Amino acid sequence: MNSPAPNIRPVIRLLDEAAINRIAAGEVVERPASAVKELVENALDAGARRIAVDYAAGGKVLIRVTDDGCGMGPDDLPLAVARHATSKIDGSDLLNIRSFGFRGEALASLGSVGRLSITSRPRGEEGHRLVVEGGRMGAVAPCSAAPGTVIELRDLFYATPARLKFLRSDRSEASAIAEVVRRLAMAEPLVGFVVTEVVEGEPARVILRLDPENGDFFDALQRRLTRLLGADFTANALRVDVEREGLHLSGYAALPTYSRGTSVQQFLFVNGRPVQDRLLYGALRVAYFDVLSRDRHPAAVLNLSCDPERVDVNVHPAKSEVRFREPEAARSLIITGLRTVLAQGGTRASSTLGTATLQALRPEAPRVYQMDLGARPSFTTLARAYEAQAPAYPPPGFAEMPSARVEPVAEPSSAPLGAARAQVHENYIIAQTATGIVIVDQHAAHERLVYEKLKAQRDAAGIPTQALLIPEILELSSSDHARLMEAAEALASLGLVIEPFGGQAVAVREVPAILGQASAKALLADVIDELGEQGDAPSLKARMDAILSRMACHGSIRSGRQMRAEEMNALLREMEATPLSGQCNHGRPTYVELKLSDIERLFGRT
Amino acid sequence: MKLSIERAVLLKALAQAQSVVERRNTIPILANVLIEAEGATVAFRATDLDIEVLDRAPAMVERAGATTVSAVMLHEIVRKLPDGALVVLAADAAAGRLAITAGRSSFSLATLPREDFPVMASSEYATNFAAPAPVLRRLFDKAKFAISTEETRYYLNGVYMHVARGPEGTVLRCVATDGHRLAQIDAALPEGASAMPGVIVPRKTVGELRKLLEDDEAQIAVSVSETKVRFATPQVTLTSKVIDGTFPDYSRVIPQGNTRKLEVDAAEFAKAVDRVATVSSERSRAVKLTLEDDRLILSVNAPDSGAAEEELAVAYDADRLEIGFNAKYLLEIAGQVDRENAVFLFNGSGDPTLMREGNDMSATYVVMPMRV
Repeated sequence: MNSPAPNIRPVIRLLDEAAINRIAAGEVVERPASAVKELVENALDAGARRIAVDYAAGGKVLIRVTDDGCGMGPDDLPLAVARHATSKIDGSDLLNIRSFGFRGEALASLGSVGRLSITSRPRGEEGHRLVVEGGRMGAVAPCSAAPGTVIELRDLFYATPARLKFLRSDRSEASAIAEVVRRLAMAEPLVGFVVTEVVEGEPARVILRLDPENGDFFDALQRRLTRLLGADFTANALRVDVEREGLHLSGYAALPTYSRGTSVQQFLFVNGRPVQDRLLYGALRVAYFDVLSRDRHPAAVLNLSCDPERVDVNVHPAKSEVRFREPEAARSLIITGLRTVLAQGGTRASSTLGTATLQALRPEAPRVYQMDLGARPSFTTLARAYEAQAPAYPPPGFAEMPSARVEPVAEPSSAPLGAARAQVHENYIIAQTATGIVIVDQHAAHERLVYEKLKAQRDAAGIPTQALLIPEILELSSSDHARLMEAAEALASLGLVIEPFGGQAVAVREVPAILGQASAKALLADVIDELGEQGDAPSLKARMDAILSRMACHGSIRSGRQMRAEEMNALLREMEATPLSGQCNHGRPTYVELKLSDIERLFGRT
Repeated sequence: MKLSIERAVLLKALAQAQSVVERRNTIPILANVLIEAEGATVAFRATDLDIEVLDRAPAMVERAGATTVSAVMLHEIVRKLPDGALVVLAADAAAGRLAITAGRSSFSLATLPREDFPVMASSEYATNFAAPAPVLRRLFDKAKFAISTEETRYYLNGVYMHVARGPEGTVLRCVATDGHRLAQIDAALPEGASAMPGVIVPRKTVGELRKLLEDDEAQIAVSVSETKVRFATPQVTLTSKVIDGTFPDYSRVIPQGNTRKLEVDAAEFAKAVDRVATVSSERSRAVKLTLEDDRLILSVNAPDSGAAEEELAVAYDADRLEIGFNAKYLLEIAGQVDRENAVFLFNGSGDPTLMREGNDMSATYVVMPMRV
């Protein structure tokens, strides 16, 4: 560092407007993708139905966003690029923000770090253009234009070479741009998006094309998500539409059996705005907590909408963080809402499982011959024909085989999990349903049933606590101490009784009896960490659940036990009646369903 | 080294040694027992680096010497040899083998050099005294059920042996607690023990020590320093590190003001607790005690599996009281009562409860209730 000469006092001066805008740009625009985000959000605020994004060289050379929104008149254009100029709020009520943008910074910032050109034509008026270079505004000139607005940003960061140096490769900047558009597109299924890469001035490659979807919002969203996340996601996602106390949670949440190894398929929005909010992501994890093992992550696209007054989006320049007026309400809506939806979808295991099974079964080479579809007998005819061929008594050789016992018990196959037909390898139950067959892992299924029963028992009976003869005293940091004491009442209801013990120490007086002699200190350390991270402590319940889960494992039907038909059917009926029975305690599926059409495909009968 | 020894003598000596050896070892030599032959004795030494057992037995030593060999394997071999056999142990240092022959059976085991065997450094013991085996047996037997198995509070993973002021003067006292219950057992202070530093004897040592205390007539030589404790009979010397920690001030948690007194036949009480706890399906097995006018009602109410109730005639004349306990804890402290009735002293349903054996003040048990 160059230190100034000792006798010359540095003079304090006001920075000029261009410098101020460049500094602000540093907050709002850190890379091309953030410029795209600002511009696309502007387009959405302008009520666009179709938005096209073109970029060249990862956005460093060109970013162009074209929309068919309301457009701006010639008088508006110079104001649009001035700082803190916006049409979106009148400044009197920063708490009531209904649009994406509101800070009035985006265009001013972009104009200060690149060559910005805005061409806009409101419907039924003339088009005009304004050019801003390195913060200096040109004159507004009339020109021809389609209705809407085209914003062109060339040579981004040419005015701030330092920033330019820190950009990544063109390819990774380009993929960031696509990602930003994908995210925004998820929340706006009714708007069409096209992302095109431009090479040497010519459109070279369409990166992403999303046509505007029509009709009911959920159907539109489902089609949009199918395009963005694949058909697998939507086939395995449950529709979420819950409302409570003015908060509305909507979107799609995947079944636990469609879990992911990382959190990449978690997309959360608040009033349509993509957010990276720890509170919300934490709540999502808690909601799936009971049905997924710790190293699996749920997949979900959820939008939390509420009165803008109840959420503060003016926390972060890029608006990726929000603050709720009642964070507890938002959190509990996500948790209980998702849990309800998951419980209702309880007897629906991931259909990808069936597909995966089929793929595993399908022969390598494609089938070349086809049956005459028209002359094909119906399934029931086939079934009857098969029954007619079956021997009346099992041949002696077969009777010796312990596996694959056929159990001809009359049971309605109209139930969702059907009627048990056989047990194979003393672990798998094959059941026939109205539309296909179901293969059940008897141990996993029964383990889940016992676990749910134990939990229900515990919830009904309350949590017995063991008082400690020698209270465990822990010294905490003052923030941990305050956080813990705030949660003391909630923890006491879970059987962990703590009291302040002078200064920043707490004394653990009682622990849940089921934990036996577990270390109260380690337990509390985990609880404090989670209170800090998520404002809640699932680990306490988790530890108790883990013990129940272990008890369930010991108390359930093992693999390798022969089951009679009555037992198998009873198990199936209980699975239907038990919420969350589609996966075992570790998130593995308890059953796989193969549709008749899937089976027919296997045999090339499609 | 070459010696011959009677099978029964050898088996007894090895049994003690091999139980100290940890089954899973990362240091191979720790799986071995050190055999040293000299004069008319053979000594077996085994260690897990915290505990060392030295066991001496008479033998006919032909050639003095020493070697080490797998403790578990040697013990297994000797155990399976026919009773009354004469066992010959002959070490061949050059080949690294120990030959074991008995009658027509012969074995050859790989050895490791004796120099590698970690012998526990001898240390100065501040206090030496002798105590009769039954006294030590009572002190440790009655306390050990309360030893904690939880590793984070390592200072509770043993029995705290120290000199304390009891109700009738200075005593030798053993205390163990796991934070849920506590046992405090006193015995008359043996001569020469008054300056003994308090030590926490680890759980494994307590288990090994127990094997030295079977003989009612034996006098056990006890040596204590700040870091080690040694218990010795003429044949066996057990040396152990003590737990390096501070035992909590247990006297504060022993309630003094409990006035509601219940007297009950300990065996009847334990059987009744066991019976009603059968219907409890959960792990903590909570049992509720309801006390009123010389009646004790034990009950368990498990919402799903059912309920159980048993009434016992007892001596109780204080106010009505309802209090819950972990059935296992009740069974274990009731199991400590040998001859007399169990006398419980309660305060409130959330307070520690005291138990004594009749009027005997030398054994005190405390158990914390459960909130059900």
